[in-house]
Amino acid sequence: MLKCFSDFLLSGVSCLLVVSNINLKTNVPTTEPSTFLKSSVRDFILNINNDYRYMRTGYYVSLHAEILGNDVIPTTENAVDAYRPPILLTRAAKNGIPIAPFMVTDSAKQIMAEFAFPVALFPVNPFSFNGFQTAKNRTALYKAVKSLSMNYRYVVCAQPLKGEISSIKSFFGECALEDPRVKAVARKVYEVFQIPVCKLYVQRLNGEARLCGLQPLKMEELQPSDIDLLSKMVSRFSGKGWSD
Amino acid sequence: MTRIACFVEKYNFSNSREAEALQSFRQTAEKLGHEFHFIFRNGLSKIPEYDAVFIRATTDPLYTAYVVSKTAWELGLRVVDDPISIKICANKIHQYRLFEKYGVPYIPTVFLSREEFHHKQIAEIFELFGKPVVIKAPYTSFSRYVEKASCETSFRDIAKRFFRRSDYIVVQKFMPSRFDWRVGVLNGEVLYVCKYMMPKGKWKHGVKRRGKPSFIWGRTVTLKRDNAPQRLKETALKACSIIGKGLYGVDIKEVNGDYVVVEVNDNPSIYKGQEDLRDKDIYEKILRFLAE
Repeated sequence: MLKCFSDFLLSGVSCLLVVSNINLKTNVPTTEPSTFLKSSVRDFILNINNDYRYMRTGYYVSLHAEILGNDVIPTTENAVDAYRPPILLTRAAKNGIPIAPFMVTDSAKQIMAEFAFPVALFPVNPFSFNGFQTAKNRTALYKAVKSLSMNYRYVVCAQPLKGEISSIKSFFGECALEDPRVKAVARKVYEVFQIPVCKLYVQRLNGEARLCGLQPLKMEELQPSDIDLLSKMVSRFSGKGWSD
Repeated sequence: MTRIACFVEKYNFSNSREAEALQSFRQTAEKLGHEFHFIFRNGLSKIPEYDAVFIRATTDPLYTAYVVSKTAWELGLRVVDDPISIKICANKIHQYRLFEKYGVPYIPTVFLSREEFHHKQIAEIFELFGKPVVIKAPYTSFSRYVEKASCETSFRDIAKRFFRRSDYIVVQKFMPSRFDWRVGVLNGEVLYVCKYMMPKGKWKHGVKRRGKPSFIWGRTVTLKRDNAPQRLKETALKACSIIGKGLYGVDIKEVNGDYVVVEVNDNPSIYKGQEDLRDKDIYEKILRFLAE
């Protein structure tokens, strides 16, 4: 996929279509998701969306591209996997991205047997996708597990919380943060999952940065400076200049 | 000897026929010289100890079963249902788009986006399919999230609920029938053939009783796979061939001698005395496939 894309860049053929639900400041022509979904364009599709969740418009754009036989970023497989914390972490670890140990369970008891407090809990259910909860003691843990598992209907992904978890906006693996270890994680996550727009959760501890989670960005979280960075990346990706 | 983990949730044992079928899987595996253990949602860390994973809990990319499937896949284990089949089968829009692309006959279908959800569009759909129409959430399973609408008010009411989890929904022509064919397919071969009868006076196989949490299900009439209509089996195999090489249950309607696919399900139900009634070797065939 990566190779094919660099070939395509080298060839200089302009057969890239940017489909975006975000107003970009770029010379690169972009198409609205609803227009693209009605078309049968045969191009390399770059799908820019704040939300690639399964069964959301951002997902259907990638699906439509794949059904038409196009190469697309992100693929539906990556979109599904990146938002599921245990799969994100399994695939990240396999690709050399530092992660914390994690556990999939609906049992607070099992979490306590494995990890010391405090712990961070990420949801693995079809409904909540936003944020995570931390628990410093037994009562807080039971409460968090109950709420994130939606009364034990689903599981949660628990990780020991040793440092501090920050959320980072990533655009093609670039982020505004200066910390080189965080930058390295963001870049590597993009290489593996190719989610152009996302929020990363990274735990920093003793000079190390570990990936904890990846979630969609909310539209209102996008600041003008983020749009600038994203637009610059889209321009760079398409091999065209960026108009400031 | 293959070590097989069978991923189940508690509810898989609440129906005695399903619980008995699970025991048949275990006994057959042991008879064939394999290890067969049930693992539950809190035992995912044990997956690396196995060679193959057989998922019986309901699959959906947003449920635990997908985490199990993809984890096993990443570890290089053999897994039924595989993550690609889950991704396609759990989203009916994905599979209808594939049917369209590869020429599989399926029920007349349109997709409706949240943006196009307005009076004119609804009127056009009624014009196209007549009344009533069937509205399906892309994530439907076990007859849930499939409802009938005969007027705009009920159409809106149903669609609004289904739009909560998907930005697109499925609308289909209503094709009443006394039963749906259910063809079990494994690795490109027909495994079993049943008729899923509609309960008396109902239009789908499983119906929720008004005001009650329980479902009523129609009878299952099982045929020997060798005696089932050839064209039915060919249609089922064609539909599965574009999805993958796993285990599927294909729902097919017979309309004036033609076969049209309603949907392909991964993770099809296997209940003692139903799907296995005429072809007793289905357990062995599935286990041999897992242990290959």
